[in-house]
Amino acid sequence: MAVRILLADDHPLTRSGIAEFVRREHTFQLVAEAEDGQRAWELIQELKPDVALLDIRMPGLDGVTVAQKVKASGLNTAIMMLTSYDAQQYVMASLRAGAKGFVLKTVSPKELTTAINTIAKGGLYLDPEVASVMGERDFEPDPLSVREREVLLLAAQGLSSKEVARRLFISERTVQTHLASIYDKLGSRNKTEALLLALKYGVVTLEELLEDD
Amino acid sequence: MLSKLKEKFSKTRTHFLAFLLCALIIPSVAVVLVAVSGMVTQEKAMEAAVSSYVQDLAESMAYHLSADSEVWTFSMLSDFTRFPFFSWGPSIPGWVALIDTNGRIIVASPGAMNIATIWRSDLPVGQAVRVEDKQGAQFTLAVYPVKRSSGGYVIAAVSWTQLLGGLVGVVRIWPLLIVFIALFSFIAIRLLWSRLVTPLKSLVNEIDNMTLGKDVPEKISHKTVSEIESVHSALMRFAQAAVDRDNLRNRYVRDIVQAQEQERMDMAREIHDGPLQDVTALVQQLHMALDDESGETVRIRRTETIAKTVVRELRALCDELAPPWMDLGLVEALTEVAERLSQVYDIEIFADFDDGTRDIDIENDKTLSLLRIVQEAVSNAVRHGEASEVHIQLSKNENVAELEISDNGKGFDSNDINHETLRVEGHRGLASMTERMSLMGGKLNITSKEGEGTSIKATFNC
Repeated sequence: MAVRILLADDHPLTRSGIAEFVRREHTFQLVAEAEDGQRAWELIQELKPDVALLDIRMPGLDGVTVAQKVKASGLNTAIMMLTSYDAQQYVMASLRAGAKGFVLKTVSPKELTTAINTIAKGGLYLDPEVASVMGERDFEPDPLSVREREVLLLAAQGLSSKEVARRLFISERTVQTHLASIYDKLGSRNKTEALLLALKYGVVTLEELLEDD
Repeated sequence: MLSKLKEKFSKTRTHFLAFLLCALIIPSVAVVLVAVSGMVTQEKAMEAAVSSYVQDLAESMAYHLSADSEVWTFSMLSDFTRFPFFSWGPSIPGWVALIDTNGRIIVASPGAMNIATIWRSDLPVGQAVRVEDKQGAQFTLAVYPVKRSSGGYVIAAVSWTQLLGGLVGVVRIWPLLIVFIALFSFIAIRLLWSRLVTPLKSLVNEIDNMTLGKDVPEKISHKTVSEIESVHSALMRFAQAAVDRDNLRNRYVRDIVQAQEQERMDMAREIHDGPLQDVTALVQQLHMALDDESGETVRIRRTETIAKTVVRELRALCDELAPPWMDLGLVEALTEVAERLSQVYDIEIFADFDDGTRDIDIENDKTLSLLRIVQEAVSNAVRHGEASEVHIQLSKNENVAELEISDNGKGFDSNDINHETLRVEGHRGLASMTERMSLMGGKLNITSKEGEGTSIKATFNC
């Protein structure tokens, strides 16, 4: 059965480009196109697509807000952000809003197919370009210690090193050491990247990561 | 309307000054006139009184002596008791004397010895006259003939000097005093004119002709009262402040224009060196792909790679111009910028946000200001301080948040910061950080010591 897809993007040229590609793929069925966030939300409620490809910046409701609405309404539509922004904070914001995928508009058709199929099956897909090392698919990170996992999850909730230290009854310096070790193991350069990579490699799950929400 | 009002005011001013001058001149003149007339009247009254007195005295004496001719002998003459007048003299300061026709004194009251010096045979008889002796003493005297065989005259005199005592001197000083009063009044009015009216007028003139923000009045050249000097120096300060303010504004506008132009140039260069070159290459590759009859996809693939590069470059340019992630919230925006800067400069940046800072909800332009401050601070830490580690900390206490950016760089003496010198040299970094904070109603504090790194604290309301 074909994956039913909704596409929302306010830029006509980009929208038609992506639409053309989706139509070409036999396993996909483009059920609707929306030119703004409000229309997208209405169409999602009406058509209940399997996957919604949402641009982040749109007039009216932005993509992240639509994703939040979908999550709150309990609809089964899997949200994928399709954007030109590569900021990792957008990835984090999208994931917190309930999105299961994040791809840049420059993504290749092959990769977009993989992405749509992944999230349609309930998986998570992040564009390799948003974290440069994410492209190395065969990279096998060293396993994190229990303490390191704890530190990473608390840090993921946005807690300061001081607060993480207080909760785990360790010193702030130790927290920093743990973080440095985590970065090293995952091959990341900062906290956000560490989280994204941890998600990608399955070190932590999206559910664990979003526990605070 | 305004000019009419102004005219009216200046008229009132002129009137007031004229009134002031009149108020000074009229009483002075009146005092002088009253004094002169009083003096003249008093002189006349005294003269009349003294004249009638000496006339009466001389006449009655002459009458007595004529009637008493029987006892008029030399022996009797020495018996002063019979003529108490001669022993006492007149009841008012003066003297009385009996002289013979040759002017020799026969008998006289004390003090009449200098009669000889003033006696002149041509003195009118029976009439009071005013004469002066050789010492300049003034007398009013009357001469009456004694009607008896031996003849002779009675002379009665009142000495003005003795009668009026010091008053005569005063009377003499009177005219001098009046001249003095007149003179002093004149000098006072002159002074009033030169020290008050003229400076006031020139002050008014200065204010009228001054272009605010351009002219500063010169130091007061003529002498004047301290009040006008204070007004004038206040005016100078005011004008100087206006000039300073205008200069500052002009400088600001110039700086802004310069910064804008610099930014445009930088942007143009970046577009020229990046996307423009790449799109040109893209077009060339497309041309060649179209001409390529082998049907190979290698060139098409190359164009895809180039196009992706262009997108990345344009995205970076947009992120640089206006970071889109600032609308995700302050903490997210700071995290993003910290992670990006860490990559750009290849240094460690630790971003720590205290609990509760996630709730900070400020406008996007404030978030942008804070992002720019972080960018500037990190850039300074790396370029000038050669720092390898930067800590970014955000904390919140009630409604006040503090963003601290500290580094482990070389540091400098923060007491030496001179924004003016830096500005002139084209380094607007520190100044623009401070200005950004003050624009959003916050404060920026820079502390640094040689060898101890730099700490920049931005405090703001949230």
